[in-house]
Amino acid sequence: MELPHSDFERLVRTLQWVWLGVAILLVGGIIIWIIHLIRTAWALDDVPSASIAISLVAIPIFIVLMSVVAYVFWGLRTHGRER
Amino acid sequence: MADRDEARDDILLAPIEQTGRGFYWAVALLSVPILWGALAYSVQFYEGLGVTGLHQPVSWGFYVTNFVFFIGISHAGTLISAILRLSKAEWRRPITRMAEVITCMVLFIGAGQILVDLGRPDRIMNVILYGRYQSPLLWDATSISAYMTASLTYLYLPMIPDIAILRDRLGGKRKLFYSVLALGWTGTEQQQRVLNRAIAVMAVLVIPIAVSVHSVVSFVFSMTLQPMWHSTIFGPYFVVGAIFSGIAALIVAMIIFRKAYGLQPYLKPIHFRYLGQLLLVMSLLWFYFTFAEYLTGYYGAEPEEMKVFWSKFSGPFWPFFWGMVLGNFIIPLICLVRLGQHTVGKVLTASLSVVVGMWLERFIIVVPTLSFPRLPFAEGIYWPTWVEWGETAGSFGLFALFYLLFTKFFPIISIWEIREGREAGLKEVEERLITYLPDEVEGKT
Amino acid sequence: MALWGMVIDLDRCTGCQACVVACKAENNVPAVGDREAKRERIISWMQVLTETDEEHHGEKMRFIPRPCLQCDDPPCTKVCPVYATYRNPEGIIAQIYARCIGCRFCMAACPYNAKYFNWHTYQKEGPGQNPDVSVRPKGVVEKCTFCHHRLQKAREKALAEKRELDPREYVPACAEACPAQAIVFGDLSDPGSEVAKLARSPRAFKLQEELGTKPKVIYLTEGEGGG
Repeated sequence: MELPHSDFERLVRTLQWVWLGVAILLVGGIIIWIIHLIRTAWALDDVPSASIAISLVAIPIFIVLMSVVAYVFWGLRTHGRER
Repeated sequence: MADRDEARDDILLAPIEQTGRGFYWAVALLSVPILWGALAYSVQFYEGLGVTGLHQPVSWGFYVTNFVFFIGISHAGTLISAILRLSKAEWRRPITRMAEVITCMVLFIGAGQILVDLGRPDRIMNVILYGRYQSPLLWDATSISAYMTASLTYLYLPMIPDIAILRDRLGGKRKLFYSVLALGWTGTEQQQRVLNRAIAVMAVLVIPIAVSVHSVVSFVFSMTLQPMWHSTIFGPYFVVGAIFSGIAALIVAMIIFRKAYGLQPYLKPIHFRYLGQLLLVMSLLWFYFTFAEYLTGYYGAEPEEMKVFWSKFSGPFWPFFWGMVLGNFIIPLICLVRLGQHTVGKVLTASLSVVVGMWLERFIIVVPTLSFPRLPFAEGIYWPTWVEWGETAGSFGLFALFYLLFTKFFPIISIWEIREGREAGLKEVEERLITYLPDEVEGKT
Repeated sequence: MALWGMVIDLDRCTGCQACVVACKAENNVPAVGDREAKRERIISWMQVLTETDEEHHGEKMRFIPRPCLQCDDPPCTKVCPVYATYRNPEGIIAQIYARCIGCRFCMAACPYNAKYFNWHTYQKEGPGQNPDVSVRPKGVVEKCTFCHHRLQKAREKALAEKRELDPREYVPACAEACPAQAIVFGDLSDPGSEVAKLARSPRAFKLQEELGTKPKVIYLTEGEGGG
């Protein structure tokens, strides 16, 4: 991978990392939220089955989403070439 | 050759590169309902939900209707984009992005309806901090979050090559914006493989998420014990209705932007013919579900269910019920039943009628059940106030504005998919057709 | 652990609504005003429903005082998204105003319409209110709590006097006020209590029992009832 040539390209690269960071933060935040809800229900002994059932489906979906985003980010960056 | 290619689709980039007077007129026009909605909501925020027409026992009205309606419209993107992409239907190419944008924008409006409906919107953090997964509202929150992230991803990924085109064409401040979002796209083979793989995964993932979204919205009603809500058909019924209203909304959006941006070469009568056929099929499917639902209630003749049933059929709610049947079934059938003769005008009429009919359908589900409680209470009729009308108008206006603003930044028709269709589509389809033909049998005697 | 419940004898009920008035006074239930009343927004934790006999139309009227039925399998607590309403260990369905986000899902789910909503700020804190009961802000759901504050007070008194709580010390305002003594309140889990004995009467029935809500307000039908 070539080094960024100009200030502009360095800025673009940085902002792209920020962009990825925001995406991961958002999706990761949702996963953490779901886990928090499960823990609350467990502590209060409030129908933990509902929480577990939902999280078994929801958390893998969000993980897949996060992985797809990260994969595209990585894939496009490493397979790019000079124009 | 590349230059001719670049220039060929210039019209798709025109809205981004120039802004005509029409745009400003449209924004000015849309700001009327939006400001009305903003005023209505600020009055409600200050005074309380009492400024609406809600009361005992009808404590859910327009806002919940709008919630179900707008979330329903979001199924436009999934059906067209994901299913057609997976089934390799070539005619989807100019339509996919329009559909995906509808989904992304309308989900925010739909989720916003619930916020508007809360008595204490200042306590929305309670849902985050203290949510209970036994409650269908939390299923909603999770499912809609998943759908929002998935459809934003599913909109963004296929846009990357088009963003790269914009990055290369535009200068100035906008160049930075598009450069960041383009993620270094240069169109190499490996990049294309990465992107296609990711899009394929998303196309498969988005479909079950979408089905779960509207099923879960229906569960808000069907998980209670109320007459004509507690029905097992609600999950599939709502999903079918959502796809139905989504296609109609998509057709309306297509026709508007086709006119506004001169997209007739791309959105051709054949596209409207196929979408019209899909709309017709969904209309028949919707009618089947509705018929099954009401026949079951009628045949069982449970007294409390029949109270609600008759109120819809011939009682105070009859205009809305029969308006719904007219809008969802009769008018679309009249317009679309001659399958070979779908003019754009007929398809537009059918679609507008379905949009209205489906809104009435949501209303007919929410309000009559609440209006006739099981115990002998005094019955009151729900009359929405200017606040609720304003919020509804503002929601439509805001959705239209979001959509319009999107078209100012990104091409509303997927340029690289059109080009892919031109270059590789014909060959690929021909090769596929050849595999369908029967194999040659070796000579026999 | 106690299981608080109520038996209402429909033969004794005269429809005088003293229970309604006593409840409103005890629990700071706001008078919503004439305009709001016309818009069907009256809040009435205890409400007397009237049923006319279908055969003898206009002749016989049945009065059914309906507080919150404090179900043992409540449809309302299932659907609350934020733990604002839940069944406490003594069988009372709590309603936490500070947590409620006003989504009104519990109102939509209750088959008895026992929940009410504050569509405006109907009252602010002021003199003349019962200091033991909080004044509700706008945008939250409220309902009958079996005068739970009276239970807390009785418990604290018993604790201060270093003795056990006598169940007869805890009586909701409606039961206390009824001039016909149609409302009997007590511990359903104590088989010797008056309320438990009445609940076993052949005249006893529950509203909408077939829904499976297991309400703890039990009614005694008029006359001698079925066997």
